[in-house]
Amino acid sequence: MMASVDALTGIHVDNNDDMDSVATQLTRSSVPDLWAENVRLVAVKRDRAAFQLLYKHFTPLIRAFLLKSMGSGANRAEAEEITQEVLIKVWNKAASFNPAKASVNTWIFTIARNTRIDFIRRNDRNNREIDIEDIWHEAESPEPLVDMQQRRAEQVIKQAMATLPEEQVQVLYKAFMEGKSHNEVAEELGLPLGTVKSRIRLALNKMQILIDR
Amino acid sequence: MVSFHPDSKFLTDFAAGSLAMSEAVCVAAHLEFCGKCRAHVQQLSDVAAQMMARLEPIADEHDGFESLMQRIDSAEPAAPQESAVRAGRPALAASGIPRVVEKLAGGNLQDLNWVKLGGSLRIAPMDVGCKRRQTAIYDIKAGRPMPEHEHRGEEITVLLKGSFSDADGKYVRGDFVVRHAGERHQPTATLDTDCICLVSLEQPVKPSSLWYRLMEPFVQYRLSGFSH
Ligand SMILES: [Zn+2]
Repeated sequence: MMASVDALTGIHVDNNDDMDSVATQLTRSSVPDLWAENVRLVAVKRDRAAFQLLYKHFTPLIRAFLLKSMGSGANRAEAEEITQEVLIKVWNKAASFNPAKASVNTWIFTIARNTRIDFIRRNDRNNREIDIEDIWHEAESPEPLVDMQQRRAEQVIKQAMATLPEEQVQVLYKAFMEGKSHNEVAEELGLPLGTVKSRIRLALNKMQILIDR
Repeated sequence: MVSFHPDSKFLTDFAAGSLAMSEAVCVAAHLEFCGKCRAHVQQLSDVAAQMMARLEPIADEHDGFESLMQRIDSAEPAAPQESAVRAGRPALAASGIPRVVEKLAGGNLQDLNWVKLGGSLRIAPMDVGCKRRQTAIYDIKAGRPMPEHEHRGEEITVLLKGSFSDADGKYVRGDFVVRHAGERHQPTATLDTDCICLVSLEQPVKPSSLWYRLMEPFVQYRLSGFSH
């Protein structure tokens, strides 16, 4: 697999589809989201082999995301523990995954994001017990895009992301992978808030995500 | 029709999980009214997921799969999954109030600790475990004006029931309205029903009239008294 690492962001860039190499081992079905069948097998049959393939592919990515986004307050052992928690949720919640509403990639990201939010709250010693999922749902939209439409939107995102200028990739990366708010990104880069906002909006527009304001 | 939405900053920070709790609750409440913003949050989560897929993977130090499965096997069988149940439900609760607000209020809004402020307004502080901002439900009597007030910090209002208007326009259920520090306004609840809003305040609102200014220490005392 051709792979390189963007020096600025550490983002792993490869020209092959991430899933291509694994796809052939899995299934030749025409389902566009190749991981959905594995999640279904976990849900319906508690299939350990299917879960192990998910584990192999996603664990190193979840771990990488959590190490970046949990901030300086987290050490490697904590990131490892949260990574395990995310995978346990993938096993436990497999039945609630709906391939018409989200790709497995997005579903697993939202589980990792929510587990991270929960960890940060626990660390803040918040006295109020709140179920994070009452606020941040796991990629569930009551008006889902139709399956193929969703896949197409993800293709657009994927392709456009490869063409973004470095300054836009940088702010997107800090927002989504390091989990920093617009304000934190602005402060860290010494930029006005409006500049951070417009860079993110420009990048989103290229991915055909058109938010009015 | 909802016509005031969270901007790209709110939606991005929400999808990335970096929005403070009080603001996140406001965005989540708006999402229950607004399919368009729900779709945006979904797309933004797709962006994040694509970025995660492109991170340089960090491999296991040793293969942890077997120990993970042991942990799963020895745990209690998972409880019925609320998210599975949730997926089939309509966005709003039967009462027409967003589920996220009812849940955080512990059920019925009427059971919150309401503080009456004059004849037209009562406020119920809500603890959402957020240190940076105050969160509250405002209940404004039909057709009565709120005291004119000035904002020392950013204020987010999500209209849950009824409608209100101020010099800038009319707001209806689901609208997500942001006011910045230094703006003055005097909202008036309109129509024949009471108006209920979810409010997130960066700093306590400073009322302009002398009477409310005298009230203010009391209000803040009551607000802070209920925040735990
Ligand atoms: Zn909206």
